[in-house]
Amino acid sequence: MGTAIKKGKLHVVTLTVNGEEHAVLVKANTTLLDLLREEFDYTGTKKGCELGDCGACTVLMDDRPVNSCLVLAVEADGHSFTTIEGVEQGGKLDRLQEEFINQAAVQCGYCSPGMILSGKALLMRNPHPTEREVREAIGGNLCRCTGYVRIVKAILAAAEANS
Amino acid sequence: MIIPEFEYVSPQSVQEACALLVQYGDSARVLAGGSDLLVKMKDGLMKPAYLVSLKNLDSLKAIRYETGTGVIIGARATHNEVMNNRLLQEKYRSVCEAAHSMAADQIRNIGTVGGNLVNAVPSADLPPILIALDARARIVGTSGERTIALEDFFLGPGKTVLEKGEILAEIIIPDQPTTGSNYIKFGLRRAGALAVAGVASSVTVSDGTCRDVRVVLGAVAPTPMRARQAENVLRGKKISRELIDEAGRIAAAESKPISDIRGSIEYRRNLVNVLTRRSLKAAIEKGHI
Amino acid sequence: MSEATTKEFSVIGKSVPKIDARDKVTGRAKYTGDLKVTGMLIGKILRSPHAHARILSIDTSKAEQLPGVEAVITAKDVPATFYGISPARYDETILAIEKVLQVGDKVAAVAALDEETAVKALSLIDVEYEVLPAVLDPLRAMDEDQPQIHPQYERNISVEIHQNFGDVEKAFQQSHLVRTDRFQGNRATHVPMEPHAAISKWENGKLTIWSSTQSPHYFQYHIARVFGLKMGDVRVIKPTVGGGFGGKLEPSAAEYVSAALAMKTGRPVKIVFDRKEVFFHNRGRHAQHIELTTGVTKEGKILGVHGKYIIDGGSYTSLGIASAYYAGAMLPLIYEFDHFKFDCFRVHTNLPSCAAQRGHGAPQPRFAFESQLDMIAKELGMDPIEIRKVNARRPNTMTLNDLKVNSCEFMACLEKAREISGWVGKKGKLPPGQGIGIGCGGFITGAGYPIYRTRLPHAAAIVKVSEQGDIATLYIGAVDIGQGSDTILAQMAAEAIGINYEDMRIVSADTETTPHDFGAYASRQTLMSGHAVKQAGEEVRRQIIELAAELLEASVADLDIDRRVIFVKGSPEKMLPFETVANEFFIRKGPLMGKGSYTPPKLGGKFKGAAVGTSPAYSFAAQISQVEVDEETGQVMVTNVWDVHDCGTVINPNLLHAQVEGALFMGMGEAMYEQVVFDDKGRPLNANLGEYRVPTALDVPQVISELVDSYEPAGPWGVKEVGEGATLPTMGSYANAIYDAIGVRLYDLPLTPEKVWRAIHERKKPS
Repeated sequence: MGTAIKKGKLHVVTLTVNGEEHAVLVKANTTLLDLLREEFDYTGTKKGCELGDCGACTVLMDDRPVNSCLVLAVEADGHSFTTIEGVEQGGKLDRLQEEFINQAAVQCGYCSPGMILSGKALLMRNPHPTEREVREAIGGNLCRCTGYVRIVKAILAAAEANS
Repeated sequence: MIIPEFEYVSPQSVQEACALLVQYGDSARVLAGGSDLLVKMKDGLMKPAYLVSLKNLDSLKAIRYETGTGVIIGARATHNEVMNNRLLQEKYRSVCEAAHSMAADQIRNIGTVGGNLVNAVPSADLPPILIALDARARIVGTSGERTIALEDFFLGPGKTVLEKGEILAEIIIPDQPTTGSNYIKFGLRRAGALAVAGVASSVTVSDGTCRDVRVVLGAVAPTPMRARQAENVLRGKKISRELIDEAGRIAAAESKPISDIRGSIEYRRNLVNVLTRRSLKAAIEKGHI
Repeated sequence: MSEATTKEFSVIGKSVPKIDARDKVTGRAKYTGDLKVTGMLIGKILRSPHAHARILSIDTSKAEQLPGVEAVITAKDVPATFYGISPARYDETILAIEKVLQVGDKVAAVAALDEETAVKALSLIDVEYEVLPAVLDPLRAMDEDQPQIHPQYERNISVEIHQNFGDVEKAFQQSHLVRTDRFQGNRATHVPMEPHAAISKWENGKLTIWSSTQSPHYFQYHIARVFGLKMGDVRVIKPTVGGGFGGKLEPSAAEYVSAALAMKTGRPVKIVFDRKEVFFHNRGRHAQHIELTTGVTKEGKILGVHGKYIIDGGSYTSLGIASAYYAGAMLPLIYEFDHFKFDCFRVHTNLPSCAAQRGHGAPQPRFAFESQLDMIAKELGMDPIEIRKVNARRPNTMTLNDLKVNSCEFMACLEKAREISGWVGKKGKLPPGQGIGIGCGGFITGAGYPIYRTRLPHAAAIVKVSEQGDIATLYIGAVDIGQGSDTILAQMAAEAIGINYEDMRIVSADTETTPHDFGAYASRQTLMSGHAVKQAGEEVRRQIIELAAELLEASVADLDIDRRVIFVKGSPEKMLPFETVANEFFIRKGPLMGKGSYTPPKLGGKFKGAAVGTSPAYSFAAQISQVEVDEETGQVMVTNVWDVHDCGTVINPNLLHAQVEGALFMGMGEAMYEQVVFDDKGRPLNANLGEYRVPTALDVPQVISELVDSYEPAGPWGVKEVGEGATLPTMGSYANAIYDAIGVRLYDLPLTPEKVWRAIHERKKPS
């Protein structure tokens, strides 16, 4: 991307990201993660391990959390994605984001985008999760700073605001 | 990290996919969810020149019931789709629980049943419970299709009976008299962990007697394996605590684990013993859970 | 009760939201890997596949010819200057010159237009190695038949420490009970979620480096040295950092190699480690083999301790000398005794280099000591908390190794932990397979001496008030790596000045614009940077009050500032808004600024290594955990942890408890889940986050984090550290809880299900 040389066959990929439709040309071996970060400058989606172990690259694919490091851009064709940048609406933070701030659930912040998206997907399909269900939903998001304590609190607090 | 370059094709039909696989031969791999394949490619363990994507093959996605046959799970069904499927939850919740025990939410949203089976990792979580439920594998190729017992599908780590140009299309769980089944996985943390050992069992119980039983071990042999001697302990007998304990001991002795960074041979044998007991107990007492 | 707790503060003591939280939850926060600089190239490093090998030749010609490749470098293209971070142990080079000393060692590097080209180029570099036998077992590293890794370290001894205080032999003779036990700690690693990353730009003889760093200063100092530049020509800027834990305290290949490539190509170069490279760089926890002998009286009073250690330092020295000293220095901290012998060998192996990781050298000795203390208590028929109370350090005492302890509420921690955990009703009384155990710890609040010899203050700060007086900007070299130092230092500045937290802006960690600070390590910033900030804020306050006195025709002594209002004490209607006075100040005198700096008092004894362990203040903690053991599988479920901390005054309660929760979580990971393992050729078997198992949200217990009242006179407003203290008690606490649950003692970390099962199995075997 940018000054890069794109050699080899390029595929047209049409996808919706944060409500906006895009058509891009990608090499087959481009991951969705790199497409989001390099082409669209959505650097909020992070690279933690690139092997699907840490969840820092989590985005929502048709409202379901996936590791974008393991989705090829060509496979993303026709799908709809939400990254962390798409969570706030019109400059207004999502309740979940507010609770992450209020509950001091953010330390270094590197896992936060992935955590918030996993949490958001959970609350969309299950507005009143139990603590266990919250922990399950973020089981694929590793955090090294918080011990998950306040992250779980934040998601539960956002759920409570739903009621 | 880089995925080595490859040519990408996304055929519109199963037949077209099979034809492409024949055409490209050994330098092609099937791309289903990609959660296993792409990791191997990033790690440099695989460098296929072609990836044949199944993404347009909607016929492989469905989970449905066919009267006279049983429950049919399309190879492209994701683990979360299996986990959340009402039909499966009703009939064989144990399969849902096995899917649930895998990896984490993100992986379960892209990983597929077909991928889990075809990758044939010895510690895979779906094969044991499916084999316990006498599942069949419907394989499609350029010259037709064949259905075999899933038990016969695995040849070794990473190796299945699939020939060039063949695709695993569906898993069939036949209608059956079993009264309970269960899969217990032992991993070294509660999410994102491979099974150190996994045991699935299914039983047909009536009047306190075990009419039939299957015990299938995962992660303790090159392929998922039936613990036939353990089964013989129970089959046809009146169920008792002592018999279940014996079945556990015998299953442990039958298993063929290796030592690796996740566990030693002795420890894995111990797990087989314990998990077999617990799995049988649950299958006997709690149904397909 | 202390001054801090009786006075009501306006800004500190409040759980204000983090100053960077909004950016982090929206994805706006930019980490080094997110940054793009015009003309930027991507750098990649070729790493050794061998643990120990001589480099015979490197052919880069094919790589150089690949379109899109702008530069390929090997050792001959970069300064051969040896570097490191331990004085007198500079033993590492940018790229390996003669030998590679570990799998993953740096051999060559490429700068290309994009990542894919760079990776392809690496595969085109041909390196001819002569594979040498490797040293892989630290316990054998000093044997005669082992290859020598570094020419200057005979028998692979990195450092040999023999410290002797009092007379342990006599103490043992006088003891009622003497126990010797051996423990084996595990090689663990930090796993910051953000891998190391750097972007170097070389322009007009000046180097600018954006880096995921814990210390722009140390980075600037060492990088300037290696490249022969003056420090002023090296600018190190810290963007948002995604965790450090000790692994980003020194420049890595990301900085050195990107700088070298930037100089060679004349274009900016970005290097981001992939996860495997983070494991190769490592600088994590030394695996310590510890033989501990302790003698006690009949009443359980510790008379003497002898610790004999062999610790695995890995390939390069890094900060490992300090780690070795800390392993002994912290042992006499929390319990009082007079006789101590410490013999430690830090050895080199052909494995990734070990250095500082949260708790720096102290957690594994703590595990050993806390486990042994429980065993001693059992032999004496004493309750584990009782024996700790007999020995607990008291405030205003000096340790046998000349560490000056001011505040110490360790006793209160023990008592509170006992109370909130329900210890009395649970110890020895829980159903079979369940148990409760205690572990304790204490840690420094900043190191008394910096990592290299210098008379520079340890921290400095500048506050600049805006011309309108509506905001104030705090310039600090202190480094926020996620722990929240930006936030609490902004709180401290606001408190010191007399304005609101929301009025603060912060510029931090850029060597060209912010004043000097040693950075985020040894839990130093709340106290040390805090002192500098308080001083700077108070200087602003003084100037404001002086002018306000004039404007209000009052005397300086009668005025106070609170929440943006300067008022006459007792007659609050005689007041002026802060903006008015600040604005007037600017009109009359120019910029309204305050500055501060902090140097700790001269600390420590005169013996060799006395500097290590010195600190202006020490934290203390007691941690109780409750476990449930599945005896058939050995699986241990930690259901609850209660942590009680003595950390002085609390600036931000939420952030403080968040640090306890995080530190405890890291301790838990190392106690039960984590270990880096290698094959017989020194290749890592689990350099990934699937098999190096950091606990997930489903694995963690319920945590209750509490504090005791405490005030530290050496800290601004009475503060002490908390970031590392909670890592120390955890391993011992779990081992003791497991013993309580199933009556088997584990000496070997991590406490895996298999180990627990084996221990139970061994116990059940008929003898």
